[in-house]
Amino acid sequence: MHIPDAFIPIWQGSIYWIIALVFVALALRWARNEMNEEKLPLVAVLAAGIFALQSFNLPVSMGTSGHLVGGALAAILLGSPFAAVFILTLVLIVQAVLFGDGGITTLGANIINMGVIGGFVGFYTFKGLMGMTKNMPISGFLAAWLACLIPALACAGEMFLAGTFPLAEGLVAMGIYHAIIGVIEGFVTVAAIYLITTARPDLVDSKVSSPAGV
Amino acid sequence: MMDNKTFIIAGIVVALLIGVVAVFMASGDPDGLESTALVVQGQKELTGSTPEDAEIEEDLTGKFSYSSPMPDYSLGDSLGSIGGLIAIIVGTFLAFVVVFGIAYGLKARKTSKINQ
Repeated sequence: MHIPDAFIPIWQGSIYWIIALVFVALALRWARNEMNEEKLPLVAVLAAGIFALQSFNLPVSMGTSGHLVGGALAAILLGSPFAAVFILTLVLIVQAVLFGDGGITTLGANIINMGVIGGFVGFYTFKGLMGMTKNMPISGFLAAWLACLIPALACAGEMFLAGTFPLAEGLVAMGIYHAIIGVIEGFVTVAAIYLITTARPDLVDSKVSSPAGV
Repeated sequence: MMDNKTFIIAGIVVALLIGVVAVFMASGDPDGLESTALVVQGQKELTGSTPEDAEIEEDLTGKFSYSSPMPDYSLGDSLGSIGGLIAIIVGTFLAFVVVFGIAYGLKARKTSKINQ
């Protein structure tokens, strides 16, 4: 769902950039306040892992492939949506500048979709469901699924505003493809949460590693 | 329990393994956004397969364009999979180093503030 430069006019891209920068500033503040010896390894390892996962395009049938986003994973493990904004922003910059994956003028929109929307949807879905079900796999799966689907729908909305896609057709196609990609995102997110929580329970946000959770 | 160093090494190894497998196994089909672009341009059915010759039409007027050094995670056709491997390895380490560096810098700033 990395929007290339050709899909959004520069003036609209600039507006997304400005909105994105507000969240990036908040994410930097999160990092300054929260970063410590315990979180630093997890944040950096998640960045490497999310970069690698995003390069892996999985076939999802219907002539389409998709890769995981990782916003829910970062937000859940680190206990803040701004963790997702922080990590995804830097990963997206590397992808755009070095690999042309996602545009430069559209980087703001990509940060909003995958970092901000993905991070917030993933974090609050997980938090809400964990409170109700106390079940990590169910909460993590649904949080990651929504954190893949909702940004895709937002992306379809931006494509409509840019005049690139018609609204209904864009929403249907983006929705269907990412609903499938989201299922894989859900499984991988739950598996990654489980593995990391098992290896280093102390690094992970306490809401995840509560005894009833895993 | 793993110490920090082991955790970081294990994490990077897992990331690199995913990336290496991706170079050989990743699907060549367009991603969800590109696929949607092909659908709205009438080059592909919503649930159908993607035709070999399908290409997204781009209207570049009023748009920015940029050439990256390693487009599409590759170093060009002549280097093939080797180029893909180099691109993924460079990218994975760079993502790690950039995030570690900035996070470390922000942490250090907090510590120096407390000490003042």
